[in-house]
Amino acid sequence: MAAEEYIVEMTDIDKSFPAVHAVDGGQFNLKKGEIHSLIGENGAGKSTMMKMLYGLYEPDGGTIRIRGKEMTHLNPGIAIGEGIGMVHQEFMLVNELTVLENVILGFEPRKGVTIDFDESRKRISKYIDTYHMDIQPDKRINQISVGEAQRVEIIKTLYRGAEVLILDEPTAVLTPQECEQLFVILKGLRDSGKSIVFISHKLNEVMEISDRITVMRQGKYIRTVNKEDTDTKQLAKMMVGREVFLNIEKAKSKIGKPILEVKDLWTSGEKELSKIRGVSFQVRAGEIVGIAGVDGNGQSELVEAIAGLRRVEKGSILLDGTDITNYSPRKAREAGLTHIPEDRNLRGLNRSLSIEDNLIAWKFQTKPYASGIVRRKKEVRGFAEKLIKRFDIRPAEPEVITQSLSGGNAQKIVVAREVDADGKLLIASQPSRGVDIGAIESIRKILNEVKRQGKGILLVSADLEEVLALSDTIIVMYEGKIRGIVDSEEAGTDNVGMMMLGESPENHDKEVS
Amino acid sequence: MAVKKMNRYVTLLLTLLLSLAVGFVFMLILGYQPLDAYLQLFRGAFIGSVNLGTTLQKFVPILLTGIGFAVAAKVGCFNAGIEGELYLGAMAAALTGHYIKGLPAPLHLLICFLAAIIVGALWAAIPALLKVKWGVNEIAVCILAGYVAKYITSYLCNGPFSAGSGVPQTPQVEEGVILPYIMEPSQANAGIFIAVLAVAAVIWLIYRSTIGYKFTTVGLNPYHADYMGINSKKVIVQGMMLSGALGGIAGAIEVLGTYGYFLDNFSLNIANDGMLSSMIVWNDIRLVPVMSFFIAALKAGALSMERFAGVPRSIVDTITAIFVVFATMETLFTIKKKRKAKSGKGGKKE
Amino acid sequence: MSDVFNLSLIYATIRSATPILFAALCATITQQADILNIGTEGIMLTSAFVAVLTSFMTGSWLIAILIAVLSGIVMALIMAVANIRYNAHIAAIGIAINMFALAITKFGLKQFLGTSGTFTSPDIAAIPRIHIAAFDNIPVLNEVFNNWCVTEVFGIIMVVVLWFLLFRTVWGLRVRCVGRLPMAAETAGIKVRALKYQVMIISGILGGLAGAHLSLGYSQMFADNITNGRGFLGVAAMNFGGMNPFLVWAGTLLFGFIDSVGSRLQSYGLPSQFVLMLPYVFTITVLAVAMWRKSRKEIKAKSAL
Repeated sequence: MAAEEYIVEMTDIDKSFPAVHAVDGGQFNLKKGEIHSLIGENGAGKSTMMKMLYGLYEPDGGTIRIRGKEMTHLNPGIAIGEGIGMVHQEFMLVNELTVLENVILGFEPRKGVTIDFDESRKRISKYIDTYHMDIQPDKRINQISVGEAQRVEIIKTLYRGAEVLILDEPTAVLTPQECEQLFVILKGLRDSGKSIVFISHKLNEVMEISDRITVMRQGKYIRTVNKEDTDTKQLAKMMVGREVFLNIEKAKSKIGKPILEVKDLWTSGEKELSKIRGVSFQVRAGEIVGIAGVDGNGQSELVEAIAGLRRVEKGSILLDGTDITNYSPRKAREAGLTHIPEDRNLRGLNRSLSIEDNLIAWKFQTKPYASGIVRRKKEVRGFAEKLIKRFDIRPAEPEVITQSLSGGNAQKIVVAREVDADGKLLIASQPSRGVDIGAIESIRKILNEVKRQGKGILLVSADLEEVLALSDTIIVMYEGKIRGIVDSEEAGTDNVGMMMLGESPENHDKEVS
Repeated sequence: MAVKKMNRYVTLLLTLLLSLAVGFVFMLILGYQPLDAYLQLFRGAFIGSVNLGTTLQKFVPILLTGIGFAVAAKVGCFNAGIEGELYLGAMAAALTGHYIKGLPAPLHLLICFLAAIIVGALWAAIPALLKVKWGVNEIAVCILAGYVAKYITSYLCNGPFSAGSGVPQTPQVEEGVILPYIMEPSQANAGIFIAVLAVAAVIWLIYRSTIGYKFTTVGLNPYHADYMGINSKKVIVQGMMLSGALGGIAGAIEVLGTYGYFLDNFSLNIANDGMLSSMIVWNDIRLVPVMSFFIAALKAGALSMERFAGVPRSIVDTITAIFVVFATMETLFTIKKKRKAKSGKGGKKE
Repeated sequence: MSDVFNLSLIYATIRSATPILFAALCATITQQADILNIGTEGIMLTSAFVAVLTSFMTGSWLIAILIAVLSGIVMALIMAVANIRYNAHIAAIGIAINMFALAITKFGLKQFLGTSGTFTSPDIAAIPRIHIAAFDNIPVLNEVFNNWCVTEVFGIIMVVVLWFLLFRTVWGLRVRCVGRLPMAAETAGIKVRALKYQVMIISGILGGLAGAHLSLGYSQMFADNITNGRGFLGVAAMNFGGMNPFLVWAGTLLFGFIDSVGSRLQSYGLPSQFVLMLPYVFTITVLAVAMWRKSRKEIKAKSAL
């Protein structure tokens, strides 16, 4: 390989963290003027590779070359100087500062020691005009939309003189239609000579936008292929290492009486667009109701309100006929609510405690695990061992601290505890986020099993495929309201996708205001 | 946490040695005889019943306030105001001890302690409530409330409840509630048994009961606790109240055991020493007794060090403070992994 | 009540507010970088002692301030190294540094000045006061603006300087970013650790000034624990001023006002303990009210109704 052909060459990269060997023999080459996708499952080492290129992590071994020059002791400052720019999965934008301040940060035009705001504005509008990006420089970040924030991130990298743009899962927060917009911008950038690294695990997108594709699996380099020479099926096989069929057949079950009835619900929201304003729906026994929607359209708030974690300001929630509106989480649970929360590290688990202390977190003060206030450690141990076995949690050692567990096994602890609590309703919020394919499969099987037992399930997922694969009924949320309710047979990525963007549904069961 | 359990004791020992070494060099530079000073310190702490008794007498409040601080830390609070709870508890014990008359001694004693516990717990509830209700920083409130408590007791023993002897103190408590000295002529008293009992109960509570489980889980992750149906706000208030109650007990023992009355400004930051002893052992409740005893010994020994080695006794406080400064540094003794892998294995492989 | 609320109350307020103002600024600059500076009290106490010691030995208030500022920097750097380099919990190291200051100043008093408790001496050179002769004959100006201590004027200047530094300079933008989203700063190639050290150094300077002013401007002596919680009051003022130097200043003035009124009420029979307690009670109340209002506002902003 001739060195001058590539703008970036990463060879034999090795990187370990205390718990994991994140990258083991990573390879990646980027040509000038191409869009190169880096794909793999969660935890395959994609982001770690690119964070090393950007100088956020230092590789334990291997070489990184930029324009043929070997880079040692990279840090973000140097990487930026070499024309590397990165748009992170979580935006690196300070909420309380303006768009302008965020863009110029670190490369501020100066007048003496002060910031030259006029000059800054002039420089930024140049990029806004060139790439037809719609952003308002004087708004604060917490006043703009996610899509706009992403464009700010792109402008930021361009402002810093990036020739290479790394985008880490940029589409995760966007609707299908917003993705299209993003792709137009990216293709425009490529045509003007920029090189783009596109990190993703969504194969359809990758096939649409890439020139070349590099696959990683469990920290290892698998292969680099031209887009013309491959298809999604082959890519999936390379990503997973075996053929996978995530489309588990929908479990058949008898649909019964309503378990959860939400009537004209109003709750507070973290953002203006995530406030719940007048939502009504129901979940029946033996049914999975899936809530689709772009993150931040009120799904989290809705779930929190039902689970007693957020105040209901108006309306009511009935669980199997009992009014549980504004119940405490404890009383809601006692009434038969179980809940796999969206953020397992914040809510789902106490990461500093052991597997057994996490498994017992609901039953710790009930018999036989406690008598009076005395904890019975032997009974707790027995209980933990039973669940570990039943849900195949690894390592199978009750006293291991959960912090060290993989995403999949950590999630299994949450699932095990909630399924064991044996409620009437199970809320599963983002159940497979950050979880490996094997665990996704088993979690989905468990959800179907719970459904067959005649319980109601409310599934919330930002992954449209997941919602479509599991749900009997699909509710689409947009800006804190229900855009439409669709039966699973009529639902597809196209019509649900349109609704996720706020377009009116073509076929919906009922209009909800 | 960065410090693993296995290394804890080693780290603790290294920190201790480092602090003693710093003190050693410090004294050397100032022209003292550090070895002699340390020797006198040791003698003054342990040799002879007066010295040992003084150590024990100082041990009690440091132990109780140390455990109190650690309990608050367990629920995620910095109870930096435990001195205030000690003062108020002491005052409550002094007043109930003097003004209630004609009760059988054990009942009267119980009332004195209950009064101290209630007052201490309620005072600690103020910062806790402000924290959970509106997110007011509890450290600031604890410290500020500590000053308020001190001035309140100062007012009470100078004003309405003054013994009238010219000294700012309350009248002597009833004979029946006085905790007898156990190692005369030192001031060590039967309060130590009460303290040990209280501490054992707290340790059991934290490690063996469902209440302890709640404290632990709330302290480590309140969001998780709330989601699991454990009301974190309630538990935080409970934890702080238990912490304050322990401060109150410490105050009651000082009054009923050591002095027999409330003396204005008697404590001289003894709760700070408790706080230190807890912070040094990273608020590990089981290690607090050991560290409290060590600090009490240092305090007791400091007097004879000053007398016989001529070193100002405040040097002991200085060394203790250096000890805690080092102890807060979590990664002081973790061996740094080689930051630059460049020179290592992965150099050139092509 | 005319001997309580009169013209001289204005200067009394300034006088009583200034030590806390410096402390509050010391906490403000670090809070902007998301460092809760509980150690303000300790920094202030150490430099108060160093200022008296230096002033007593050299007879120069200027040298005394310089050395006091240096000692403030040293204390702040100990905290910085512990927190940034060795992962010490910021509140823990803050409390530790306060204990250390308490002990070392007590020790220093005995070791270098041969006394314990309190040290005063006519040989302590105080920070001079600015006498404007032209004001002498104009009662209002004379009473309000004449004979200010140099550092009292300087404190107000520092409010403006700090505001400018934080909100108008490149450095300030970076500090505010580091305090809110350090990763954003890091990915912009900003050296977060270096910036935090710089912030701590400035905090040390301000804390040093706080101490020097307290022992050489506000008073002319050193006593054990002379700060008596003023550092903490400064932290509280920073809190309810929301890290904005001007609002923080307003907070300290309010405090100074309460303090001055309280001490004047003593002649009306208010027990001295209540006068001494007043600033602390007041501060707790203001903190609580400020946070209560903030949470009310948040609830309102989040409401869907």
